Amino acid sequence: MKGLEYSLKRLPGKHSLFWKLACLLIAFCLLMIWLSWSWGRYMEQQGAFLSDDARATLSGYAAGAELAWNTGGSAGVDAWLQTMGKRESTWLGVIGNHLQSLSSYPLTDKESQRLTFLRGLDWPVSRHAKGLPWLKIPFPVDPGAGALVIELPQRFMPGRYQLFWRVVTNGVIPGLFTLLLCVGLYRLLIMPLNHLREQANAWRADQLATRLSHDATSRQDELGELGRAFDHMSERLQSTVSVQQQLLRDLSHELRTPLSRLRVACDSEQDLPQLRERLGREIDGMQRLVEDTLQLAWLDTERAPLPQEEIQVQALWDMLRENACYESGWPVSRLQCGLEADCWVRGHLNSLAQALENILRNAIRHSPAAGVVRLDGRREGDEWHLWLQDQGGGVDEEELERIFAPFTRLDGSRPGDGGFGLGLSIARNAVQRQGGHLWAQNAGQGLRVHMRLSAR
Amino acid sequence: MNPAAINLPSILTIEDDPVLGAYVHEQLGRCGFQVTWCQNGQAGLKMAREQAFDVVLMDILLPGMDGLSILTHLRQSHSIPVILMSALGAEADRISGFRLGADDYLPKPFSMIELRVRIEAILRRVALDRRPLPALAAVRNDARCLRFDDELCDVFHQEQWAGLTRSEYRLLETLYRNGEEVLSKAFLYQHVLQRGYAPHDRSLDMHVSQIRRKLKTIGYTEREVRTVWGKGYVLSGLDEGA
Repeated sequence: MKGLEYSLKRLPGKHSLFWKLACLLIAFCLLMIWLSWSWGRYMEQQGAFLSDDARATLSGYAAGAELAWNTGGSAGVDAWLQTMGKRESTWLGVIGNHLQSLSSYPLTDKESQRLTFLRGLDWPVSRHAKGLPWLKIPFPVDPGAGALVIELPQRFMPGRYQLFWRVVTNGVIPGLFTLLLCVGLYRLLIMPLNHLREQANAWRADQLATRLSHDATSRQDELGELGRAFDHMSERLQSTVSVQQQLLRDLSHELRTPLSRLRVACDSEQDLPQLRERLGREIDGMQRLVEDTLQLAWLDTERAPLPQEEIQVQALWDMLRENACYESGWPVSRLQCGLEADCWVRGHLNSLAQALENILRNAIRHSPAAGVVRLDGRREGDEWHLWLQDQGGGVDEEELERIFAPFTRLDGSRPGDGGFGLGLSIARNAVQRQGGHLWAQNAGQGLRVHMRLSAR
Repeated sequence: MNPAAINLPSILTIEDDPVLGAYVHEQLGRCGFQVTWCQNGQAGLKMAREQAFDVVLMDILLPGMDGLSILTHLRQSHSIPVILMSALGAEADRISGFRLGADDYLPKPFSMIELRVRIEAILRRVALDRRPLPALAAVRNDARCLRFDDELCDVFHQEQWAGLTRSEYRLLETLYRNGEEVLSKAFLYQHVLQRGYAPHDRSLDMHVSQIRRKLKTIGYTEREVRTVWGKGYVLSGLDEGA
C-alpha cells in the first residue's frame, strides 16, 4: 500500500508536461496506425477496378463485336476478330450463350477452360491471379445474343501506379504527419526555451529590466515554472544591482560631505590646535562611515552561520546602558528595562549587541528632553519577543519599512548629528543573520522597534 | 627617569608604506621602543628569525611575501608575539589572522595611542607569562569580604558563592590582583581571553556586566568593577571618584 502511495505521489502533477507529451504521442501513434491500415485497404480496393477509360474502350469493343455478329454472322465476327487482332496483342473471342464460339473457329480446350473461370489444379491459389485476367463483356444491345471475351490488355491492367501510391500512403504522408508533430513539439517545448535564452542574452547586454512574456510565465506546466523562476531570478538580480548602485552613490555622497568640510577647514585660516581638532573630528566621522558600511556589506554578503551562544538580555542591557549613558549623558533612570533575569536568548553576542546598541542610539537620538526609553518583552513559545519603546515622534506609517534601508535619513533628523542612516540597516541585518526578525511600529507615543529572537 | 630604559623593548616593523612606516618608526622610537623598520616581506622574515625581538609589527599586504605567509613561516620556529596591521578590516580577515597565530590584529587606520596600548598589553602579558605566579595568599588574607577559590574558579562572600564562569573568575582575579590600577582592554583581552581586541568585540564588556550583576546578587559592595572611558577597567572602592 505504502509503495503504491509513494509511487502515486511521485507521479507528475496534473499540469505536468508529461501528460501533454503522453497524450500527443499516443494520439499520433494511433492516427498513424489507422491511417496506414484504412488507407492502404482503400487504395488496394481502388486498384482492383478497371479505369473508366478501359471500361469505355472495352464496351466499345463489345458493341463492335455485336455489330459484326448482327451484320455478318460468323464471317463478320471472323473479320472483326482479325482486325482486332492487329490492335490488341492479347486473346480475343466472341462467344454465344452456350459458351460456343460465334466465329467460325471453335474454341480450344484451354480456351473453354479459361471461359469457365475455373482454376487449374496446379495454379497458384492466391488472391493475385496468375497472368492477365479474362473478361466477359455481354453485347450491349442484346446481352442474350452473346458476349465478347477478352484477355485484358496489359495497358488496361489496373494498379499500374500501385508502387507510387504505396510510397505516398506509407512514406510521404506519415512523413508529413511526423513533420507536423515535430513542429508541434518544437512549439510546445523549444519556443519557451528560446524565450529564456533571449532573456539570458538580454542580461548579458545589461538589460536587467527585461521580463519574460505573459504567455511564458502563465503556463501551468514545468516550463511555466521554469519561466517564473527565471523571472524571479531576474527580479532579484535587478534589485541587488540597484541596491549596490544606490549604496555606492550614497556612500560617495556621504564621503563628500566630510571631505568638503575638510577642504573648507584647510582653506580657512585657523590656528593649528583648532585645525587639528577639526581634522580629528572629521576623520573620526569618515572612519565610522567606512566601518559601518563595511560592516553592512559584511553582514550582507557573508553567508556562513554566526557562532551562537546563550546571552542574558539583562546583562547585555546593563552593558549597553552604561555605554549609552556615557555617550548621551542620560541618567540611568531614563533607560529602563522591564525584563527579568530569566530572559536568555541564543544569538551571536557581538552582532546582537551591535544591533541593540544601534536601536538604542536611534531611540535616544529621537527622544524628547526627559524622555524615557524602555526595553520590554515576553516569551512566545520558543522565542523571545523584545521591544524597545521611545517617546519620540514616531515615523509615518509608510516610512516604517524605509527606515531600515541604508542611508535613509528622515526629514526630522539633522544631517551631521552623528548618523549616516546605517544603524538600523546594520541592526536588521545583524538580527536576521542570527535567525531573528526586526520591525518597527508606531505605538502610542513614539516608535516601538520589535525584535524576535530564539530563546535559550 | 625610566629605570627600564637600560633594556629597551625591541620592535620589528614590517611595513611597505613609506609614510606610515616612517611615522610609526619615529613615534614608537619616541615612546621608548627600539624600532627596526623593514620594507620587504622576505627580508622581514629573515630578520625576525635571526635577531631577537620582543614584538613584530607587520602589515598584511607586503611586497615579496605577504604578512600571513610570513606569520605561517615564523610560527614554525618562533613564538615571538606578532601584531598584524591591515586595511582589510573585515571580520573574516581578523579571524584568519588569529588562526595563523597572530597575537593581535589592528585595523587601519589606527591612532598611535591605540598601537602603543596594544604593544604594551602584549609586552605585559609576555612578562606575566614568564614570571612565576606570585602567591595570591597575601591578597586572599587581605580580602576579608571576598574570598577567591582557584579550584572552583569562584568567589565567596557572606556564605554565598557568586557562581562565576571560568573567564569571569579570571577577569575578576586579574583586576583584583592589580589593585587600583586601570587595566587596558587590550591587556585584558590578551591576558584573560587570550586574543586580540577588536572594536566590535563585546565579550569582555559582557563578562564585566555579568561580574557586576553577580557581585551585586551576593551583596558584595566593598569594591566594584568600574569603567574608565577610553582606557579600560579597574576594580575600585565605591566612594572613589564617584
